[in-house]
Amino acid sequence: MGAYNTIAFDAAKCDGCGDCMSACANTKVGADDALKEAPLGGTARSRIQIGGTAETGYELALCRQCGDPKCVTVCPAGALGKDLSNGVIGWDAAKCVDCLLCTVGCAYAGIALDEATGRVAKCDMCEGNPSCVKACPHDALKLVTTSRIYNEVGGWEDLFAPGLAGCQGCNTELLMRHTLRRVGPDTVLATPPGCVPGMGSVGFNGTTGTKVPVFHPLLTNTAPMLAGVKRHYKRIGREVTALAIAGDGGASDVGFQSLSGAAERNEQILFMVVDNEGYMNTGMQRSSCTPYGAWTSTTPVGQGAGGVHSQGKTQDAKNLPLIMVNHRCEYVATASTACMEDLYDKLDKAIEASRRGFAYLHVYSPCTTGWRFPTDQNMEVARKAVDTTFVMLWEYTRADGLHFTRPVDDPLPVTEYLKAMGRFRHLSDDQISHIQSKVVENLGFVKQLAHGAKA
Amino acid sequence: MEQTKYLVVGSSHAALEALTAIRMHDPEGSLTMLTRDPHLPYSPTVLPYVVSGRSAPDNVFLRDEKFFAEQKISLKRGKALKALHPARNAAELADGSEIGYEKLLLATGASPAIPPIPGIEQVGYHVLRTLDDATQLNAAMKASKQAVVMGAGLVGMHAAENLVKAGAKVTIVEMARQLTDGYFDATAAALIEKAFTDNGATILTGSRVVKLAPSATGATLTLESGATLEADLLLVATGVRPNMDFLAGDGATVARDKGILVSESMQTSVPNVFAAGDCAQAKSFYSDARVMNAILPDAAEQGRIAGMAMAGDPGIKAYPGGIPVNTYHFFGRHAISVGSSKVPEGGEVVTRFDEASGRYLKVIFHEGRLTGIYGVNEFFDAGVMSQLILRRIDLAPLRERFLAEPMKTAREIMSRTWR
Amino acid sequence: MSTTTLEAPVEAKPKQKVILCEGNEAAALGVALARPDMVAVYPITPQSSLVEHVAKLIADGRMDADIVDAEGEHSVLSVLQGGALAGARTYTATCGPGLAFMFEPYFRTSGMRLPIVMSIVTRDGITPQSVWGGHQDAMTVREVGWVQVYCETVQEVLDTTIMAFKIAEHHDVMLPVNVCLDGNYLSYGTSRVELPDQAEVDAFMGVKDVNWHVALDPLRPMAVDPLTGGSSGRGPSTFVRYRKGQCRGMQNSLRVIEEVHEEWAKRFGRSYAPLVEDYRMEDADYAIMTLGSMSGAGKDAIDEARDAGKKVGLIKIKTFSPFPVDVLMKSLKNVRALGVVDRSVGFRWNCGPMYQETLGALYRLGRHVPAQSFIGGLAGADITVGHFHRVIEATEALLSGPASTEPVWLNEND
Repeated sequence: MGAYNTIAFDAAKCDGCGDCMSACANTKVGADDALKEAPLGGTARSRIQIGGTAETGYELALCRQCGDPKCVTVCPAGALGKDLSNGVIGWDAAKCVDCLLCTVGCAYAGIALDEATGRVAKCDMCEGNPSCVKACPHDALKLVTTSRIYNEVGGWEDLFAPGLAGCQGCNTELLMRHTLRRVGPDTVLATPPGCVPGMGSVGFNGTTGTKVPVFHPLLTNTAPMLAGVKRHYKRIGREVTALAIAGDGGASDVGFQSLSGAAERNEQILFMVVDNEGYMNTGMQRSSCTPYGAWTSTTPVGQGAGGVHSQGKTQDAKNLPLIMVNHRCEYVATASTACMEDLYDKLDKAIEASRRGFAYLHVYSPCTTGWRFPTDQNMEVARKAVDTTFVMLWEYTRADGLHFTRPVDDPLPVTEYLKAMGRFRHLSDDQISHIQSKVVENLGFVKQLAHGAKA
Repeated sequence: MEQTKYLVVGSSHAALEALTAIRMHDPEGSLTMLTRDPHLPYSPTVLPYVVSGRSAPDNVFLRDEKFFAEQKISLKRGKALKALHPARNAAELADGSEIGYEKLLLATGASPAIPPIPGIEQVGYHVLRTLDDATQLNAAMKASKQAVVMGAGLVGMHAAENLVKAGAKVTIVEMARQLTDGYFDATAAALIEKAFTDNGATILTGSRVVKLAPSATGATLTLESGATLEADLLLVATGVRPNMDFLAGDGATVARDKGILVSESMQTSVPNVFAAGDCAQAKSFYSDARVMNAILPDAAEQGRIAGMAMAGDPGIKAYPGGIPVNTYHFFGRHAISVGSSKVPEGGEVVTRFDEASGRYLKVIFHEGRLTGIYGVNEFFDAGVMSQLILRRIDLAPLRERFLAEPMKTAREIMSRTWR
Repeated sequence: MSTTTLEAPVEAKPKQKVILCEGNEAAALGVALARPDMVAVYPITPQSSLVEHVAKLIADGRMDADIVDAEGEHSVLSVLQGGALAGARTYTATCGPGLAFMFEPYFRTSGMRLPIVMSIVTRDGITPQSVWGGHQDAMTVREVGWVQVYCETVQEVLDTTIMAFKIAEHHDVMLPVNVCLDGNYLSYGTSRVELPDQAEVDAFMGVKDVNWHVALDPLRPMAVDPLTGGSSGRGPSTFVRYRKGQCRGMQNSLRVIEEVHEEWAKRFGRSYAPLVEDYRMEDADYAIMTLGSMSGAGKDAIDEARDAGKKVGLIKIKTFSPFPVDVLMKSLKNVRALGVVDRSVGFRWNCGPMYQETLGALYRLGRHVPAQSFIGGLAGADITVGHFHRVIEATEALLSGPASTEPVWLNEND
């Protein structure tokens, strides 16, 4: 499969003006969209249909150019087919028998009857340059490349064994597989105690979970052990990438000294921290990366003594990536599984930087089990962390300083994030205010750093 | 004996979707498609258009030889399945040869059901199920002056329209009290009937042919009423029956009712034998009963599920049960039916009919959810409506808007669902 | 196996450079001659001058190794583990609190069968605070699966350091080795040292092959140290296989240590008792046991006792781990009383650790030998010839009287 372009719709930016429909109708049938006044309500001649109201929000009916198109499978005449060169589902007017079965196949009205012709009509992407996108005055329609990452790396070898045993809904496996296939086979991988080896990356009882050499360092010595490996390969002239995929506990707490030491020596390794804000593999205990107020199994919620309730963690989280910035590493960045393209860009830079010195990548990774949210909500929770600026996505190099890679112009209130999971369910109003003020303070602090970098 | 990992019998939508699903999960396992038809795969649904001449017979194929070569599928055309021997995993062909299999899909479809009317064997008549049937009917139609169509289902109605347009005097004889019984309600049927009579066709509903005899014209039909009809072209379109004769004998371990009984993964009573499409009797969406739902979209869905089950694809999801969906295009107009025509207990029916425009809409709700929607000349997206039913989306808060503008409201809901 | 005495004939020595240096410098020179690929260093008294010497040798181009100035002993050993898994010959040195801090990776080194060589410039344990010599550090980790040898002289430090690499990397051993040299007494003690010829050391060392059994190498990927254990499946048996292998390697090392010392003597003309040294043990009725640098004073005291007509000898342990029981049995064959001098404390048995180990070995003799524990030289205290005369007298008394369950604290009143 190639990289396909698709028309993306941002409902929040749409004001229902209908310019897209007029443009489509003009382009396709040489007529203005006569039924524009009744959006979605009639079989307007435009192949893109905008409906809804300002109150309920605007909605879209448009062919998604599906990867597994049902309209094609139910066509009895062979009149529809996906063009694998551009991903567009094409309609052959000569073959079509007007039976309308294609409209049965599509769940989104992407192919529908044009009453003016009595035939079906659908978006053909205007040969890669859609009129509707050009006509949209609000950027609500955009031409984007789908599956960019998949299309680029889908064919690369997955260097983890199949069947890693993560918790249901965990996105760390996704992170691991994407990372290692990007880094490639000439790699030595360190996975210190935690979820990453816990789900089987180092194997059990003489088996292995990866196709590259992998080891299970101590919780405390990931960075130096890996540095030793890298140093010897460098000495004997072999190009080998030294990669750690570690948890936040080992990195920020008991392993921090050795991490700091390796960073100070500028060891040529790529150190990725998967930050799920606690010792989740061990049973969800508190780490120094656990945020204020969070329930963990060692910061439980209870009645307490003398009327003083126990309400989760009483300290704010340590900001490990900012500490790493202060080592003036070759590269430091934060990332989130909610923003895979951003993560991929940073991974590329981190790999490259690790050939010169210490590269540190801190990935915020929600934990369905330990954070107490439904297993289908991982991406949503990750996204909310970003959208509320509870976590910030930035990168740092010595040359360019620190800058945001995905600035959030208008952050959601932190409650949007907090209420998405059970570990914050007990919070008092005071605690929520504390967290909100910390989010603001942290954002201000990082902004200052970013501003300083520009100056 | 020839051996194959997967044997797919049949070559229409269910069978083709099964091939795709198998190859998605198992790119290499030996795969054989067996069909009694001499042609490349095509859809029975396209045949009325071959009859009308709109589709050229050589332009209706859904796959070409290149597809089978690329997908490493052995296609055996003109080879009918004669008997099944499930105990030794072997399929016996009409020519006496056998093919051994590990997993078998029966997607053998259906054949026209010929009513046991006295004299029927003595007269010449047409049916419409295969491409060859269609080309023969197309040729005969050009010479026809007075034609009779027995059966007013969609196959018969399509053919009748073609005969009308070809200039013949056409009479449609239907046992039921209305046309398109089981597809559309009486109001819709009346609209359809009017379109046909306006175009010169004669409709005889509630009529039964009791005797057939050869005549100088072709055939003389005697009706229950005693009246007779002369036909130089007789089309028998009184329904279909699933193809499963090969299950007599050894194959009887594969349980049958009206069709081949299958589970939610299209598995028959014999674990490595699957069935899908018009020959299968699968779960209904509305109850746990197993029903015949011989429509194209369901055949494709069942075929895909069967293929995934056969290949052991872990992504398989249970068949949710089929709902009836029909789209019918007649004399430039459209009739669309989605969901059950039955009004459930406590259900509510809302109809709207504008005589001037001929626009007719019928909506059936139950507990705030859509269970069926019918329209003539009232366009809505059958796929979108199907999803509202299958997903049991609560329409109670949007009821009035939905009734006022069903298409628009439904599109909005699905757009929101998707985002 | 046999006991070795220094009366063995010495063959003609190859030409060797003679220098004057302290024990720490001798160790550093030995390391340089063994040509490791990687050394990791972190300073701690009384080891510091050793790593300073190593750093200077590298800075001066007299040694070609990657030096890692780690931020602590824990990382020091961790870096070397990584290096060893990539195929490097590796070395470091530590002592006392540094060894304690290193314990987590230290335990693991022997389990992974990494032939890392580490000097322990022995230091007493805290608290009370002390930066002075004593064997408490090395003794405390004697159950962790490292081979541990103790040196008596500065020359022996140099020679043993080189031999340690060969012992560690022997395919029948594949275990890490501690070369123990007494803090203060050997680390700073300066004496004449013969420096072996580099080419001859190269020939002695042979081909380096340190990660044939376990490696982190993309050319032959494997999971190093996967999870094992649990009560079912292959877990328990896998774990037992590892442990049995370590024990077998330890026992194999007894033979290999002897072979390597024998080859060393042949090539360089200097002979050391590889496991146990008998000093004037022929016809001895009773004996004293020593470890490390104290042995010199012990031998002087024995000479004087012999001059006074006492039938006493000295047994010096060089290889403490694995404990050379079979060879020691031969030394003790005719002994009727034994005094064991330790430079550290065994808290559990209220005696010295070597004494306790020896009691275990004596069980195999099948007869009762009265024995007394002496503890001396803690925290840098000297064990003099005078102290040894007390040891000899108290041991002689055991020939006709009972042994005490209390240890004798030699420096108690110093």
